[in-house]
Amino acid sequence: MLSPYRVLDLTTERGMFCSQILGDLGADVIMIEPPGGSPARRLGPFYRDVPHPDRSLFWWAFNRNKRSITLDITSSDGQVILRRLVAGAHFLIESDTPGALTAYGLDYANLATLNPALVYVSITPFGQDGPKAHYADSDLIILAASGPLILTGDDDRPPVRVSVPQAYLHASAEATVAALIAHHERQYSGHGQHVDVSAQQAVAQATQSGILATPLNAEEFQRFSGGVRVGELRIRLVWPAQDGYVGILYFFGAAIGPFTRRLMEWIYEERFCDEATRDKNWLAYIELLITGQEPLAEYERLKLVVEAFTQTKTKAELFRAALERGLLIAPVTTIAEVVESPQLAARDYWQRLEHPELGQAWRYPGAFAQCSATPITYRRRPPTVGEHNREIYMDEIGFTAQQLADLQHRGIV
Amino acid sequence: MAHDRPLGDVKILDFTWVMAGPAATRVLADYGATVVRIESTHRLDTGRTIGPFHDGQPGVEHSGFFQNLNAGKFDLTLDLSQEAGREVARDLVRWADVVTESFSPKVMRVWGLDYAALRQVKPDIIMLSTCLMGQSGPWAQFAGFGNLAAAISGFFSLTGWPDRPPAGPFGAYTDYVAPRFTAAAILAALEYRRRTGQGQYIDQSQAESALHFLTPALLDYTVHGRSQERGGNADAHLAPHGVYPAAGEDRWLAIAVRTEAQWQVLCEVMQRPDLGHDWRFATLAARLMHREALDTIVAAWTQEHRAQEAEAMLQARGVPASAVQNSQELYGDPQLIHRGHFVQLAEPLHGTTTVEGSRFKLSRTPARVERAGPTLGRDNQYVLETILGYNPERIAALTAAGILR
Repeated sequence: MLSPYRVLDLTTERGMFCSQILGDLGADVIMIEPPGGSPARRLGPFYRDVPHPDRSLFWWAFNRNKRSITLDITSSDGQVILRRLVAGAHFLIESDTPGALTAYGLDYANLATLNPALVYVSITPFGQDGPKAHYADSDLIILAASGPLILTGDDDRPPVRVSVPQAYLHASAEATVAALIAHHERQYSGHGQHVDVSAQQAVAQATQSGILATPLNAEEFQRFSGGVRVGELRIRLVWPAQDGYVGILYFFGAAIGPFTRRLMEWIYEERFCDEATRDKNWLAYIELLITGQEPLAEYERLKLVVEAFTQTKTKAELFRAALERGLLIAPVTTIAEVVESPQLAARDYWQRLEHPELGQAWRYPGAFAQCSATPITYRRRPPTVGEHNREIYMDEIGFTAQQLADLQHRGIV
Repeated sequence: MAHDRPLGDVKILDFTWVMAGPAATRVLADYGATVVRIESTHRLDTGRTIGPFHDGQPGVEHSGFFQNLNAGKFDLTLDLSQEAGREVARDLVRWADVVTESFSPKVMRVWGLDYAALRQVKPDIIMLSTCLMGQSGPWAQFAGFGNLAAAISGFFSLTGWPDRPPAGPFGAYTDYVAPRFTAAAILAALEYRRRTGQGQYIDQSQAESALHFLTPALLDYTVHGRSQERGGNADAHLAPHGVYPAAGEDRWLAIAVRTEAQWQVLCEVMQRPDLGHDWRFATLAARLMHREALDTIVAAWTQEHRAQEAEAMLQARGVPASAVQNSQELYGDPQLIHRGHFVQLAEPLHGTTTVEGSRFKLSRTPARVERAGPTLGRDNQYVLETILGYNPERIAALTAAGILR
């Protein structure tokens, strides 16, 4: 879909997922790494737990469908070479501290004079400007500053994050959308622009609009392990099964009430509740609780009924019933179960990528969507450090072997 | 008119509901796409029943969640179970560039509105279906919401404390992730159609999109056979790293020390220079090994301070720290205010409503968030008369036949 377009990627772990999505959509992506390799290559886990820049699984996760060159953009020769690349590029993605690239003449204003059609994307913790623009950051800091963290975890413990870092993935994926909007506009105007993405604002989407509770004069959501608490109402999501846990959306109203009714019918069939419990008004139940017509203690009792029932079933039994009876139940899967999922196998989701440098091939998560006319393909495994230096510097830019050797000798490449 | 906004020429017929689909089309509407949402009073958008609500009062026209996801869109109520309703839908397909839907697989086919049918009506249409598990496979019919998709995709087992049941990320997590891929796929398909004249069908499984946010853990399994588990707030590369109690009830401070220099500064700010020389904390490896003792010491200091104060003290010296902000603090956050994150819109039932603005800035063609999310059927007249050019008699006949509900 994007095969005519070239993307230059100057980012670290803050932004490299953005150009991977563009690469999955067909763009020609060049990672520009400092000599020695990107700092993101120092993040684990590592292949066989041996740290090595070409063996970081974290790097592999976000750099397929890209080529890699090394270039010291802090040197003036490096800047000249980068400007040559920029002249022929359509997108540039960077994730440096706001203003940092100005020192190298590589800020948007400078590069736009060279290539007015360039879409220049900056991905930063808090955006290019504002009182926190220069805050020191990390995944956890952004989650704290943007709202989802206070809502996540057990209510008797500190808030907790997803154990796999998420914040910069939200920012990077948001940046892809932003870049493509600017690209669409460029088709008519002929002009590029500066795209300024704030990770804080991107991650705020993960509050599910809870961020708006204060301006709407509504009660704040509160964390409650595996569910949400609104006032005294503790809406539970995680339930025990015989062999682990399941998620059940045990809720009410016009949309969800019918699912809850079907679950209660099953629980009744297996004699875990009486008729009166089964036949409550599930469509209006939330209103009954809010108005006090139904005491909260009764709702708490219902949850114990459901728990007593789910404990007697395996995850697979509960999920099979969900598919057959139309219930809102899903197994809480381990990573191993996800990779071995029959659903993902049936859809041929996993894509095997050869790593010839290690003599092996491994399964990667596959296409994020199935596109009928332009299927997403994995054309390149994540590159080793500077793997495409010769290809790009000699075959495409036109340096001689002597010139390239000279640049390498001087530490610029 | 068409090109004064970046997506001013893009027309979207939007059958999606709740969050995953509407969040994607909201971004496109912010940048000028004309989005016509189809709703039905027979089958209310569940999004209208999700809080936060204006003044905490539930009601189909009170949902701030719905308004946040649907600002800037047009709304047509249409009974698709009747042929006359489907005829209107097909007229809108002729008008549209893109059709989006998020029903369980089969629903659009039953209505004769699947891709095979729509391309007969408009050969270059781009159609995107988004649902939890995708259009095919043994679990295709699994209906539900993004919290269940997050449970079945590994996010739950990776979130929480090792000694407790999984807590899971807050809410319908895959609904926050998937919309980015939805919008990117639509924009890329428009680009492809511009060059080739070809439309296409896009089958998005929200679970398959969201798994890209777990790739390092997935590779750890496919490469090493290791199934990662939840680890609280511990980080393999950083210590101290965690959420520490601050003064006040349910007040917390996040700290993530990334360098040795930051560790030394933290010791100074805590007025504990002795720790800088303590062998238990002398290197990252040592601090990781003595994480519990370290966390106890840090917590003793954070407890003495308000979260925002401690954040300011540490950030002033370059140590990554942030108060764990709730809605009230977020609404007063000087950074979010500076970025224009909160947008007040006129809204007839409540006077004003507040929604989130665009999450990014385009320097030359900024977002415009100007019109509140629709009340049910707010734009029926506009859509039928102005967009479709129906005459008053035809509109009256549709109304009389109960199609516009």
